[in-house]
This record gives sequence, structure tokens and C-alpha cells, in this order.
Amino acid sequence: MKAETLLKVENMTVRFAVKRGRGFGKNAHLHAVDDVSFTVKCGETLAIVGESGSGKTTTALAVARLVNSYKGKVLLGDTDLLALGDEDLRQARARVQFIFQDPYSSLNPRLRASDIVREPMDSLGDMSEAEKSERVDFLFNAVGLRPEQQRLFPHQFSGGQRQRIGIARALATQPELIICDEPVSALDVAVQAQILNLLRKLQKDFGLTYLFISHDLGVVQHMCDSIAVMYMGKIVEHGSRLDIFNAPQHPYTRALLSAVPSVDKARRAQTKRILIPGDPPDPVNLPAGCRFANRCPVVQDICRRDEPELRNGVACHFPNAEL
Amino acid sequence: MSLIDPENTIPEARSPFSEAWEMFRGNTAAMIALVILCLIVLGAIFGPYLYPTDPFDMVWAPFSPPGADGFILGTDYLGRDLLAALIHGARVSIIIGLAAAAVSILIGVTVGALAGFYKGWVEELLMRITEFFQVLPTLLFSMVIVALFGASLPMITFAIGVVSWTAVARITRSEFLRIRELEYVMASRASGATNAKLMFRVILPNALPPIIVQAALMVGSAILFEAGLSFLGLTDPNVVSWGQVIGSNRQYILDASYTVTIPGLAIFITVLCISLVGDGLNDALNPKLRSR
Amino acid sequence: MALLSVKNLRIEIKTRAGVAPVIDDLSFDLDAGESLSFVGESGCGKSMTALALMGLLPEGVGSVASGSITFDGEDLTQASEARLRALRGNDISMIFQEPMTSLNPLYTVGEQIAEVLRAHQGLSRKQAWDQAVELLDAVRIPNARARAEDYPFQMSGGQRQRVMIAIALACQPKILIADEPTTALDVTVQAQIFDLLQDMRRQTGSAIILITHDMGAVAEMAERMIVMYAGRKAELGPVDTIIAHPRHPYTAGLISCVPHILSTLTSEREDLVEVPGIVPALQDFGKDLCLFASRCRHAQPKCVNQRPPEIAFGNTHQAACWRAEEL
Ligand SMILES: Nc1ncnc2c1ncn2[C@@H]1O[C@H](COP(=O)(O)OP(=O)(O)OP(=O)(O)O)[C@@H](O)[C@H]1O
Ligand SMILES: Nc1ncnc2c1ncn2[C@@H]1O[C@H](COP(=O)(O)OP(=O)(O)OP(=O)(O)O)[C@@H](O)[C@H]1O
Ligand SMILES: [Mg+2]
Ligand SMILES: [Mg+2]
Repeated sequence: MKAETLLKVENMTVRFAVKRGRGFGKNAHLHAVDDVSFTVKCGETLAIVGESGSGKTTTALAVARLVNSYKGKVLLGDTDLLALGDEDLRQARARVQFIFQDPYSSLNPRLRASDIVREPMDSLGDMSEAEKSERVDFLFNAVGLRPEQQRLFPHQFSGGQRQRIGIARALATQPELIICDEPVSALDVAVQAQILNLLRKLQKDFGLTYLFISHDLGVVQHMCDSIAVMYMGKIVEHGSRLDIFNAPQHPYTRALLSAVPSVDKARRAQTKRILIPGDPPDPVNLPAGCRFANRCPVVQDICRRDEPELRNGVACHFPNAEL
Repeated sequence: MSLIDPENTIPEARSPFSEAWEMFRGNTAAMIALVILCLIVLGAIFGPYLYPTDPFDMVWAPFSPPGADGFILGTDYLGRDLLAALIHGARVSIIIGLAAAAVSILIGVTVGALAGFYKGWVEELLMRITEFFQVLPTLLFSMVIVALFGASLPMITFAIGVVSWTAVARITRSEFLRIRELEYVMASRASGATNAKLMFRVILPNALPPIIVQAALMVGSAILFEAGLSFLGLTDPNVVSWGQVIGSNRQYILDASYTVTIPGLAIFITVLCISLVGDGLNDALNPKLRSR
Repeated sequence: MALLSVKNLRIEIKTRAGVAPVIDDLSFDLDAGESLSFVGESGCGKSMTALALMGLLPEGVGSVASGSITFDGEDLTQASEARLRALRGNDISMIFQEPMTSLNPLYTVGEQIAEVLRAHQGLSRKQAWDQAVELLDAVRIPNARARAEDYPFQMSGGQRQRVMIAIALACQPKILIADEPTTALDVTVQAQIFDLLQDMRRQTGSAIILITHDMGAVAEMAERMIVMYAGRKAELGPVDTIIAHPRHPYTAGLISCVPHILSTLTSEREDLVEVPGIVPALQDFGKDLCLFASRCRHAQPKCVNQRPPEIAFGNTHQAACWRAEEL
């Protein structure tokens, strides 16, 4: 079955004005997301991976229009989210929901668990009170919380339970797309497994589509159908799960994969650690050419001159070069 | 069989505020202060009915010391009953304290909330205004207001409120700046909450704890402020308040010091209790002391 | 004889509900130059163990209730504060989790390293500075002489953690304790830090105690490991043996609940093995039963009636589980 495309992001750029130095003069811009395009198919999971500061969260926020994009298109089905006016946007928010990283700051401490889950239905949609209560009951059950717990306040839950409440809230308006921004990185490993299994089960049961952000490649490998690897605001490689993990092409992807410590002895024996020394360049003053050039083990002159385009799923002048 | 399973025991639902009250109750000093405050407030409400002597009536010879001639607290330079002044004056002092605090909270929270929520030029403008009020010499400025517009009670209240809202504005703004970046605010936004809802239903309730503490302390300082203005004679001479009693007797501070010390003590005890309660609130509402 | 020998250590902590043992009957040995790893979920007492070894238990809150920590023939639980101060940073040193906050923002990194050298080794200002630069070079900070003049905020997270390592290694300690040194860092940086630690261990012969919750990191870095659960030692043994055949159900859970990247990935994806529930609250730590029982698939009535003994498998591997032999 060939699934149809649910989300199509085209040439999206997000930039922030940053103050540099003293005095007046022109503000510099930090391109947190730079000309990024990707698609997510209905019922599948696209993972965005990359190091800290590569623009993962900004991409996610821009897709949900929680930060403003500078240019580009975000097509959800046929609607361009970036072109919507205020009230249309507010209504469209029911279709895209967010699951946050920090289970401690993502729930309003003054509300009871049931009210937190109910909030999106209060702001959007036109359900009656009885229908809302029924849906809250249903959601609590779906995420594995007990009905008696609806009355409790967030601080009375463990981290994993709080994340379940966050998931229930995201499901409340029956969204088409759920964006998960590092949903398990603040949790203990055992609790991580509980939440990951829950997310997969919900996907199966309700046919959800996830945009899944993580820096943990093990988790990504387990959750996604396809992957976009980001570096300094650019997608450097975009492909299916098996392609990326078994045959990575971009030197950065390969370095990233080789850096993950593994309990698997066979994998440890067969992977050669690819070191990428140095730091990423200053995001405000990006160098010409490929952004990875200063750390790339196979860099050539052209890399410092011309910026590679994303072609056949990889943005590199010399994909698959011998490392 | 005793299984330990912290996730499956369902505790009683307890809101952050009820936990704070629990914590507050454990604070002996604050509880004592709260009880005394309640007594003072009850006294202010019901005292005038139980002790109806008019504080402006000259009932006895002047400068009768406390205890003598049947007047528990003695009489002042015009032979007016000091106990009556204390009891009747409590109302005005406390009302001015509360009302002035309310005025400054109202102005401060509005300015701080708008500045913290909208950022950008709104914030710049509002914060410059706040700074302007902050650098004004407060006593002088309130004296000018009272001198210009007359020393009626509402004007005094307004004058005190207008010079003391800047602290509230700064606290509110910084809480708003902190909370607006938290993920639950983002979550509300992602599920279609309007700006008004975000500001008043989501962020403001969470910003309240330090504002409440500040409000409590402000009541105390407003009472002091009123006393200061009265001492300088900037007050409504037809209304008795603690500060007014001190002010009218200030010439006799050396000859009949009790006429000044007794109302002074009343102010001192009230303000002290208010700050103890404020401190207690601060400890109880401060999430760092509370386990998550 | 072992370099460090911990015997029946019990550390109690005062909580609102009373006194609770954060570390309960912990025994282990550490040989010179060895690398040992502590794993376990949050709140299981890993950092407490590290702090106890450093003599840095939170004052007025935690204290050693019984047991001994013998370092080089000297019982540290009996040592004076002055003696501990002399040992700290010199013979035993520690790297903390947060590279952002564990450096003093007001001094250059060079000064901070030199300070340690002057305090412990009595070097002159000039000598200490030169050695600080050498150390920065050793932890592979490019252009070390110039970077020594930088303040912490001028460095990236990975570089700061390297500076921390340089400080910790300045006096060539016999034991280096690293408490989740890479949790705040990216994997590529983590890999570099791990490489660096391994190299340093080879060069200086320091023993390393690595605290982590990542089994992959343990497999990569350590020879032996201790699995901690709720203040108790659940399992101790050689890393390869334990990963190949964990005897304690908690260890098995920790290994299999994480989605690992395997040598070849297939399109198949099983659900992760779940360890239900969470670590018990601190006030329950002292109870006379297996604290893992409520989360354990293999629990029997015996498990909730009595604390399990440590069962030995050969002389290097022990597991504290009633059913360790069958599993
Ligand atoms: N509101 C903002 N104003 C200015 N710069 C920002 C803002 N938000 C993000 N940035 C910058 O944009 C870049 C991308 O940030 P982003 O948070 O998207 O990264 P990330 O990939 O999610 O990283 P992490 O793994 O640390 O969460 C960073 O350089 C960051 O400093
Ligand atoms: N200063 C303190 N006061 C009171 N309790 C403390 C203190 N420090 C730690 N604890 C408690 O001691 C227990 C063990 O904590 P410890 O820091 O050793 O855990 P850990 O295994 O290092 O966890 P993590 O992986 O989160 O670092 C926890 O329950 C914690 O709440
Ligand atoms: Mg992020
Ligand atoms: Mg710790």
C-alpha cells in the first residue's frame, strides 16, 4: 500500500534576529532552519535527528506555527498552514498537536489532570460537556492511566505518568499530525520503554502520523519509518530507516552512527569510530560552501566553495566517500 | 504481603495551594502573626460598636496618663480618649493599607503582564514608564499628589498606590517572561488558546505566588506610608487613623510620649505581623522548598 | 590488595518521613587502573555513592551510618576533614554531570587548572600555568596556550567537560570518578570524551568509576559493572558476562528496555521489553524485602517477605535475587 502524503514542507526557512556586539547597526540573523523540505506520509513516522542546536525543535515549532517562518510552505493535506489567518489558524491547530520534552514544565501545575486533557477541547471544537468528559475518560484509558487519577494535580504524578497526560492532551482533538519533541529524553530508561511502546500502540490503534524529534539514534531507529538528519539548520540526509542505518551516505550521518555506544559486541567490533573533531561553525556567520566542511574527514576544495544540494536523499559532494 | 508500588497508590487530590497552606500551618511564627492580625481586623470591624466613644470627643482633661481616671490608654492633648482613637483608627489604617495595596497590584500586574507577555516595543515602553516611576522620590511625589488634589482618603490611597506599584510590575513581568516560555503555555497555544486566555487563565495564576507575597508586604508598607503622610499633616483631619493620632500629637512627643508610642506600637505590631505572614507565604509558596 | 575497598557501607539520609538508607549494605572492590561502572535508574543512589567516596555527602542531610571505605589502607569514613581535603582532587577526583555550572565563571580555565596544581602540588605560578596548558593540550583542546586564557562561557559544552577532565586529572589521581560526564553532551562529543578518558586511563593508570544510566556506555567503557537499585547492589560482575547473561531481572530489564542499534537492522521491530512502574520512594528503601519485587515479572511471595541474599556465580559475579540461579 502506498500511503498518501500528509505533511509536505517546502523550502521552509526560520530565522531569528540576534543582537551582535554593541551599538546599533543592522541586526544579524540566525538561520535556525534553512531552506528545509521534507514529507511525512499518512500513518508513518518521520524522525528528525541531529545534534543540539541543529534546528530540530525550531523545525517542529515552525511546522505547528508556534514560531514564525521566514519563508516556505507547510502543506497539511491541502492547506498551507503558513498562509492561514488568525482565526483559521486557531481552528487548524486542532489538526496538529505537540508532545513536549519536559514532563515537569509541560503541564500547568494549577490544573487537575482531567482539565489538562480537556483544555484543547475547550479551546477548539464544539463538544458538549458530557462528550468532553467521555472523551477524557477514553483518553485516560488509552494512555494507561486510571480514572481515579483524573482529579490529581500534575505534581502528584511521576515523570512517566505526566508524559502520559501530555500524550492524552495531544490526542484530545483527534489531530492528524502529532509532533513529538524529544518525548522521552527526560525520562528514565525503563520509563522510556513504557512511553515508546505506548506511542507505537497508539499509532497502530488510531493510525497516527508522527513527526518525531530525537537525538537518540537508538530510539529513532525503533520508532521511525524514515529519517531526516539535520546539521546546522540543513537536512544533510533524508531516507528510509533501513537506508540510513544500514547504508548511511553523508559523512556526518556516518560519524553520528559510529559514535553511538552499543551493547552489541558484533556492532562494536565492526564499526570504526569516525571522529569529527572541532565545533560546528558560528550559526550567525556561516561559512560559504558546505556547513560540515570544517569537520569533515573527506573534505575537498569544492566543499568550501559550493553548498551541496539535497540530491537522492543526501546533501554532499562526495557521498559514500571512503572514510 | 507488602508490595511497594509508588505509581499505583492513588493519593488524595491536593492542589498546589492546599499544599502551600499545609506548609504555612507548620510555620509557628507566621501562624501566631496571622492570629494576631485576625484579632486586629476583627477589632477594627467590631470594635467601634463595642466601644462607641467618639475619638473626636473631648471626654476628659488633657494628658491623663494611661490607666489613670478610668481611661485605659489615657487621653491626648485635647482630652480625647486614646483607646477610642486606636480602635476607630484601625479601620482607616487597615482600609488604606488594603486599598492602596490593591491599587498598586492592579496597576503593577496590568503593566507587568502586558510587558512580559507582548515583549517588543510594548515591553520597552512600559518598562521605561515603570523606571520613570521608580526613580521618583516616593514620599515627595505622593506629597505633591495629596497637596494638589486634596487630602481626602481616596486621594491618599491613590497617592500611595501610584508610587508603589513598580515593584509589582517588575515581579509580574519577570514571572511572565519566565512562564511564557514554559511548555505548558506553548501547549495551550498549540491547542488554540487566545492571547487573553493565555495571559489571564494560564500564565497569571501561575505567576501569583510572588505577587501574593509582595501584596502582603505592600499592605504593611502602605500602612506605614499613610502614617508617614499623616505625621507630616497630609491627611484628612476629620478622619481618625493611627498615623493621624501620631501626627496630631507630635508636638507633645517629649511631654506625653505615650500619646505617640501607643499608636506607634499598634502600627508596629500590625506591620510586623503582616511581614511575618508575608514571609510565611513566601516559604509556603516557594516551589523550591516543596518536593516535586 | 584492592586500591579501594568498600565494605557494608550504609548511608542514611534524613527525610521528612524519617531516616532512610540511600545506600544500603554496599560492598565492592576497585583495583588500581581498573574501570568500573555504576548503572541504574535515577534516584538509585549512584551519585550518593560517588559523594561518599569523596567525603562530600550533603552536610546535615546524609551521613555514613556503618561500614567502611578503605582507600590505600586508610579508612575514609574515619578520616578528618583536613585529610579528606588533601585526598580530594589529589588522589581521588571527580567530574560532575553539568559542565555548565561546575566551572567558576569568573576565572579563566587556565587559572582554574593551575589553582588545583598549586594547591595540591605546591607548584609555582609559572610552573602551574605551563602544566595547565599541557593538560589542556592533553585533553585535546586545540591551540591550548591561547585557549587557557578563555573564560568558561567562551567554550562549548564538550570543551568545558574536557576542562573538567583536565582539572580532575591534574594531579594524576589514583581514582577518577565521572558522574554522568556526558549526559548533557551530543553523542559525537560523548564519543570523543570517552576516547579521551580511555586514553588518559592508559597513560596515567588511574582507575575510573563511571556513573551512567546508559548500558551502551558501560559496554564501551567499563570492565566491571555494578547495577544499583533503590540504594542496593542488584548485580556486580564483568560487563561482558552480565550483558550476555544478566542474573538479576532488573539488569535484564535495563538492557532490554532500550532500543539498541544492532549491527544490521531489519525491518522487524519488536515492542520493547517493559519494566513497569518506577523506583520506590526514598522512605521505602530500608524495607526488608526485595525492593524490585513490585516491578518484577518473576516475583514470588518470598520476594516480598525477605530481602534476597547475594548469590555468587564464580568469584567475580554476584546477584541479589532469590531466583538468580534459575534466571
Ligand atoms: N527564540 C530564539 N531566538 C534566537 N535563537 C534561537 C531561538 N530558538 C532557537 N534559537 C537558535 O536556533 C538554533 C536551533 O535551535 P533548536 O532549539 O531548534 O535546536 P535543537 O536541534 O532543537 O537542539 P536541542 O537538541 O538542543 O534541543 C540554535 O542555534 C538556537 O540557539
Ligand atoms: N541533598 C539531598 N537531600 C535529600 N535527599 C537527597 C539529596 N541528594 C539526593 N537525595 C536522595 O537520595 C536518593 C539517591 O540520589 P542520587 O543522587 O544518589 O541518585 P542517582 O542514582 O545519582 O540518580 P541520578 O541518575 O538522577 O543522578 C534520591 O532518592 C534522592 O532524592
Ligand atoms: Mg530541541
Ligand atoms: Mg546522579
